[in-house]
Amino acid sequence: MSLFIGLTIAGLATGAIYAIAASGLVVTYTTSGVFNFAHGSLGMLMTFLYWQLRVADHWAGPLALGAVLLVAAPIVGAGLQLSLVRWIDINDTGIMLVMTLALLVLGMGVAYAIWPPDTARALGPFFGPSAFVTFLGQRITYEQLLCIGLAIAVALGLRLFLFNTRLGITMRAVVDDRPLVALNGWRTAKLNALSWAIGISLGALAAMLQATLFDDLSVLNLTFLVINSFAAAMLGRLRNLPLTFVGALVLGLAASYVTGYVHTQSGPLAELETVLPTLFLVIVLLALPSVRLRVGAPPARRSPRIASARVSGIQSVLVVAAAVVALPFLHGTNLGAVNQGLAIAILGLAVVLLSGYGGQLNLAMYTFLGLGAWLFTKLSPGGGLGGLVLVTLIGAVAGTLFALPALRLRGLELALSTLALSELVWYVLFNQSNVMENTITIHRLRLPFISLQGARANLVFLAVVFALLAFGVAAIRRSSFGRLLAATKDSPAGCATIGLNLSLTKIGITALSTALATFAGALYGSTQQQVTANDFYFYLGLFIVLIVYIWGVHSPMAALFGGLSLAIFPVIAPHLPAWASQLTYLAVGFGALSMVINPNGTLDAVSSRVRAAWENRQIRRPTAAPLREEARLLGIPADS
Amino acid sequence: MAFLQTHEVSMRFGGIDALNGVSISAEPGLVTGLIGPNGAGKTTLFNIITGLQPPTSGQVFLDGRDVTSVSVYRRARLGIGRTFQRLEIFGSLSVRDNIRVTVEVRRRWSRQRIDIKHETDAILARVGLEEFAKVPADTLPTGSARLVELGRALATRPRLLLLDEPGSGLDAAETEAFGLLLADLAQDGLAVLLVEHDMDLVMKACSHLMVLDFGELIASGTPEEIRANQQVQDAYLGAEEPPVGSITEPGLAGAGTLP
Repeated sequence: MSLFIGLTIAGLATGAIYAIAASGLVVTYTTSGVFNFAHGSLGMLMTFLYWQLRVADHWAGPLALGAVLLVAAPIVGAGLQLSLVRWIDINDTGIMLVMTLALLVLGMGVAYAIWPPDTARALGPFFGPSAFVTFLGQRITYEQLLCIGLAIAVALGLRLFLFNTRLGITMRAVVDDRPLVALNGWRTAKLNALSWAIGISLGALAAMLQATLFDDLSVLNLTFLVINSFAAAMLGRLRNLPLTFVGALVLGLAASYVTGYVHTQSGPLAELETVLPTLFLVIVLLALPSVRLRVGAPPARRSPRIASARVSGIQSVLVVAAAVVALPFLHGTNLGAVNQGLAIAILGLAVVLLSGYGGQLNLAMYTFLGLGAWLFTKLSPGGGLGGLVLVTLIGAVAGTLFALPALRLRGLELALSTLALSELVWYVLFNQSNVMENTITIHRLRLPFISLQGARANLVFLAVVFALLAFGVAAIRRSSFGRLLAATKDSPAGCATIGLNLSLTKIGITALSTALATFAGALYGSTQQQVTANDFYFYLGLFIVLIVYIWGVHSPMAALFGGLSLAIFPVIAPHLPAWASQLTYLAVGFGALSMVINPNGTLDAVSSRVRAAWENRQIRRPTAAPLREEARLLGIPADS
Repeated sequence: MAFLQTHEVSMRFGGIDALNGVSISAEPGLVTGLIGPNGAGKTTLFNIITGLQPPTSGQVFLDGRDVTSVSVYRRARLGIGRTFQRLEIFGSLSVRDNIRVTVEVRRRWSRQRIDIKHETDAILARVGLEEFAKVPADTLPTGSARLVELGRALATRPRLLLLDEPGSGLDAAETEAFGLLLADLAQDGLAVLLVEHDMDLVMKACSHLMVLDFGELIASGTPEEIRANQQVQDAYLGAEEPPVGSITEPGLAGAGTLP
């Protein structure tokens, strides 16, 4: 009985933290229409700031708390909203999610750069070791009571503010009809800034409580604390605060009881405590009522031009030519990086297919990369070509199974479900001792008549494979299936009313892209020859999606630039100043934020400018024929 | 026999009755108008007929078959084509490709041998969009974009055509041509159900009218009967206010006029 009471108190305290985090998420969503994936990352930054002031700089506790919760967090929240979020088109779900994912990555990069992980840091509890009360024989610490009390205060305070004050009601009205609110004299930008100030402060509070209650000051854990609160927020459909609160408490209690009563040292069940919030999120998302086809969506933003077969062919030839030309200049680490980059570029093609052409933001691509690598070594220990084919087919089947339960999901729900499933697979499968918890060795692919044992031969092989696949992916876009995908993206309702089975289309494109992703995984494993579960950690999937979006998710060449970027950044980073040591995070984060200006990506922006400059030049340069005609009319001899 | 029948269809959103026991029909070979002030429930009824929204109660029958719980794409394959009040064109595709993709989809599910190019060109010609064939659909003015939607609906070879304000954005000449096209389509045996606020077009093109107001069917009959119907006049002009001048002046409460 006392164990049950103890676990219940612990569960309520944990649930209270989730409730505060989830409430902040709901506030920003209901008042700005933007789902903030960076909620946890920003809270994490504020927690590290608190550590800096309190522990490193020895500020008094209340002063440090006030500086973070009442000054820094609101300024960061309001500042982000006014400088960035307000320009996001909330009807363009893909860009909206990419922007907030970019903030998540950027937040981690900034934290790693300022507070490198090689130094141990800890936040002590708010209260001393003797600060507890006893209830039915169980100790309840002041920390736990503080968490529960604050959660109740937040829930009541938000409810009163948003539903019973003029300011709160107006903040909610902005999402429904921003122009109408503005016509009534309200400054909508300021209203949204206020909501983000509140939301980020709540995220900061939740992260700080997490760090003190569990003595866990980790960039990764605090950033992804928010995934635990996603489930509670989704239970409330991102609108219902009481339901969010209840969901959070249920989640906290469930996690606590699992910790107390499920005693498994190894195997997937040992991870149950860790993955329970994620599992809860998946169940909530799959159990949500079907989303009806939306009618009356605003028009799509301008789509980039589709490369002709000739242009695609030239691009593919140039890729191989560039690889061959670069060979003599690549050695050691650089050679390895380009090899790795090309393998990841093939994964990038899967992102182009699924997200660029299919309009589905899938954050689990690294999971299929890992699956491909692992399956290749299991099915083809000697690196045979047959194993590669089999892995690809299994990838297609896995993608189909993956897509089936998520058929009803779109946009935000799909992105969340894929991120959650990715995390589940990592903990339950990849991180098991008989899978990839320890380093596994993968044989280099063996081809008939060609040896790929050398890194240079492998590089040329990967370049050829990428070139062929890129040509194929571009050809898909030009085909009837590509037109179908474009139509599905533009108007799912329109597609359904012309007799198209949207589910089959979705399954088809998912299977094709996951087949490509697992194929990429096999080649990646073959290239690296040694991999572990950490090489496919679930949040790495964010980087490949973001980098391809940065370069232009509609273009196969974006996959090339993206893959090479991700491989080369870690090689360059050690040669940069300390503040730029987290180059991958910073470059990806800032690069994705720039999509506010170039929503179609860098390659399209550059090619558009070049094309415009060329066309202007053609207009300005007079041709000879009109001049001759003018001269004739004016009586000027032709030869003068 | 009517190709389309709705039987006591109701739709409730929270505390609001968008539709209340509406029973309508559409016959092959006729253009039937569905009119009413803004917010009367016309588009909601279209969404229920096409399956985009399930009704709170009531049934929808197509050619005698109850399709109330049939999915949207299956109803399209059974012969419903529609256009939308707010455009749902495939903006990233050209005008030609909007039609072409529809023909390709039809070829797939109907398993018929279809000359895609020939069929696409024929539809483009029928709706008068040949000169815009290569133009990206999202760059078209509204009137032309509505014709793209119409062409796309025709590409499904429908037996019932639901047109939701297709005349919006068309100039006088285009509206005239559109009216002739509607007559042509009806002559081909299509059942056409037309929602429009342009009363000139409605009165000329429709042989039968139904009037919705606040989710209820308040009148049904020929254009002349509807024109003379007091309840319809009250719905458009407002029952409390005395008529302002002639009946052809813009109504106070609703949109459109009754010529």
